[in-house]
Amino acid sequence: MNLFEPFATPFMARALIELIILGALAGTVGVLVLLRKLAFVTDTMTHTVFPGVVIGYLAAGEGGIFWGALAAGMVTAALLTLLTRRRKVSEDAALAMLLTSLFALGVVLVSRQSGYTTDLTAFLFGRVLTVTGEQLAQTALISVVVIVMLALLRRPLLLRAFDPETAEAAGYRTGLLDVATNLLVAVVIVAAVRAVGTILVIALLIVPAAAARALSDRLALIVPLAVVIGVLGGWFGLATSYEASIHHGVRLAAGGTVVLVLTGLYLLAGLGGVARRRIVRRRAAAGPLDQATAGISTGVTG
Amino acid sequence: MADTAPPASPPDGVPPDAPPEAVPPDAAGPQAATSETVGPEDGAPRERDVTLRMEHASIAYGDVPVLEKIHGIVHPGEAVALIGPNGAGKSTLIKAILGLVPVVRGRIEVLGRTPALARRDVAYVPQADTLDPDFPVSVEQVVMMGRYRKIGWLRRPGRADRTAAAEALEQVGLTQRARHRFGTLSGGQRQRVLLARAIAAQPRLLLLDEPFNGVDAVSQHALLEAISVLKGRGASVVISTHDLAIAHLACEEVCLLNRYQFGFGPAEEVLTPECLRATYGGHALELRGDRVIVAQS
Repeated sequence: MNLFEPFATPFMARALIELIILGALAGTVGVLVLLRKLAFVTDTMTHTVFPGVVIGYLAAGEGGIFWGALAAGMVTAALLTLLTRRRKVSEDAALAMLLTSLFALGVVLVSRQSGYTTDLTAFLFGRVLTVTGEQLAQTALISVVVIVMLALLRRPLLLRAFDPETAEAAGYRTGLLDVATNLLVAVVIVAAVRAVGTILVIALLIVPAAAARALSDRLALIVPLAVVIGVLGGWFGLATSYEASIHHGVRLAAGGTVVLVLTGLYLLAGLGGVARRRIVRRRAAAGPLDQATAGISTGVTG
Repeated sequence: MADTAPPASPPDGVPPDAPPEAVPPDAAGPQAATSETVGPEDGAPRERDVTLRMEHASIAYGDVPVLEKIHGIVHPGEAVALIGPNGAGKSTLIKAILGLVPVVRGRIEVLGRTPALARRDVAYVPQADTLDPDFPVSVEQVVMMGRYRKIGWLRRPGRADRTAAAEALEQVGLTQRARHRFGTLSGGQRQRVLLARAIAAQPRLLLLDEPFNGVDAVSQHALLEAISVLKGRGASVVISTHDLAIAHLACEEVCLLNRYQFGFGPAEEVLTPECLRATYGGHALELRGDRVIVAQS
C-alpha cells in the first residue's frame, strides 16, 4: 500500500489535509473529554448537532450545514452543562432521551426530502472527498481558536477535572469552565461534521485520547500522542480506503475506514500499554523498595 | 470574576500571638446583631489578629438549615477541630468558610473579609480518596496546582512557584516521590500530597476535611508535623475529624457540631463527657476515666 500516491489528486489532498487537521484537533480536545469522563456527553452532543445540520441544509443548502450545526452545538452545549451539573452523568436517562429525540427530529426532517437516503448518509457519515478549500480554511481557523482557548484554560481545566471541590474552593468558576468545555467539544464536532459525519466524529474525539492514555501516564506525553494517533488514523484510513477502492475494486467508505483504522491503533496501543506495565513491574521487582508501589500502579492503570 | 485582588492586601507577617484562653462566645455580643449587609468595601482588615470569625452564623442549602448559630473565633497560629457525628454539618461549615454555601443569618468573616473575597488566602484539603487514582497527574503536578491562582492564565510556573512546591513537598516528606503518578501512592501519602498542595499556596487559613481517615501511622505523623509547622508560621487551621485523640494532639480549640454548636473552646474544656453526649445524642458513648470513646455509625 502506498501512503503518498493517493494524495496526488487535489480532492484527495484536500481530504487528507482536512483529516490531518481534524485528527490533531480532536486528539487534543479528546484528552479533555477523557479527563472529564465526558464520552457519553460528547456522544449525546454528536447526535443533538444532527438536527442542526439538517435544518441548516434545508434552509441554505450545503453552505448552511456549518451554521446550523454551530447553532445546534452552542445550544446543546449550554443545555448539557445544565443537565450534567444537576445529576450524575453516567447513568443519566435524560441524556439518552435528549440524544434520541433530537436525533429523531433530524431524521424526520431529512425524510421529507426527495433524495432522502443519500442526504441522510451524507449527514451521518460525512463526505470527506468533497471537502472544499473554503471548508479547509474554516477547519483550520476553528482549530486555532480551540487550541488557543485550551492553552489559556489548561490549568483551571486540569484542576477542575482532577479535583472539582478544590477548584471551586480556589475560586474558579467551575460552571463557566464546564460551559467552556462543552462548547469546545461542540465546536470540534461542528468542524468535523461535514467531513466525517455526526456518527463518526465521536471516534475521532474518543479513540486517539484513549489510545494515548493506554501508552502513557504523563499528560505531557498523552496530548502529543493523541494528536499523532488522530493524524495517523486519518492518513492511514484514507490511504486504505483509496487503495481498496482503486486497486482492489472493493469500495470502502473513507469515514468508516478511518474509524476502523483508529480502532486498530487503539488495540495496538492497548497491547503497548500491557507491555509497558509489564516492564514497569519487572523494574520494580528489581528494586524491592518500590515493589509495593508498582503493585498499586499496575492495579489501577489500564 | 470573583477573584479580583483584594482592595488592600493585608501585611504578610501576622504575629502568632494567639491568646491561649478561649474567647467567650458572647464576647462579640453587642455587634453580632448589627449590619447584615457586608459590602466588598468592608474588606479592610479590622482586627488583624483574627483569622476566622463566626458570628451566630446559620448555614442553609436553599430552605433547609444545616447549621445554626455557629459562633467562635480562630486566631493566627491556632487550630480548631470540628467534631461531630456523620451528617453533623462539618463539611458544610468548611464549605461556608470557603464561601461556597450561603450564610443565611449572622456572618462568617475570614481575615476581616467575606469568605468569597478571602479565597486567595485560604487553602482547602479534600479527602484523598475522593479523587480518581487513575488520573494521569504526577505528584509534583498536583502540588503545583496549589500555585495556579498565583501563576495566573498566561505565565509559566516561575522559580518562586517551583521553590514553593518543592518546599511544600519536602514538608510532608515526599520529595523523592515527586515524579510518581499521584494514584500510585498509598492513601496516606496522597493525603500528604494534597496537604503539600495547600501549603504551596501559602495560605493564612487552612481547611482540612477528614484528613486522617484511613491514614496509616507514618502519614498521620507527617500530616501532624506539617500542620504544626504551618501553625508556627502563623496560619490558622480548621480540621474536621471523627478522631478525638487527634483533635487533642493537633488542635488547641474544639468546635462540637451537630446541626447546632455544642461547644467551642479549648479542647480540655469542651471535650467533656457531658458535651460529647449532648453532641452525639443517644449514640453509644463509653466513658472510662477521662477517656471518651464515641461509637461510629
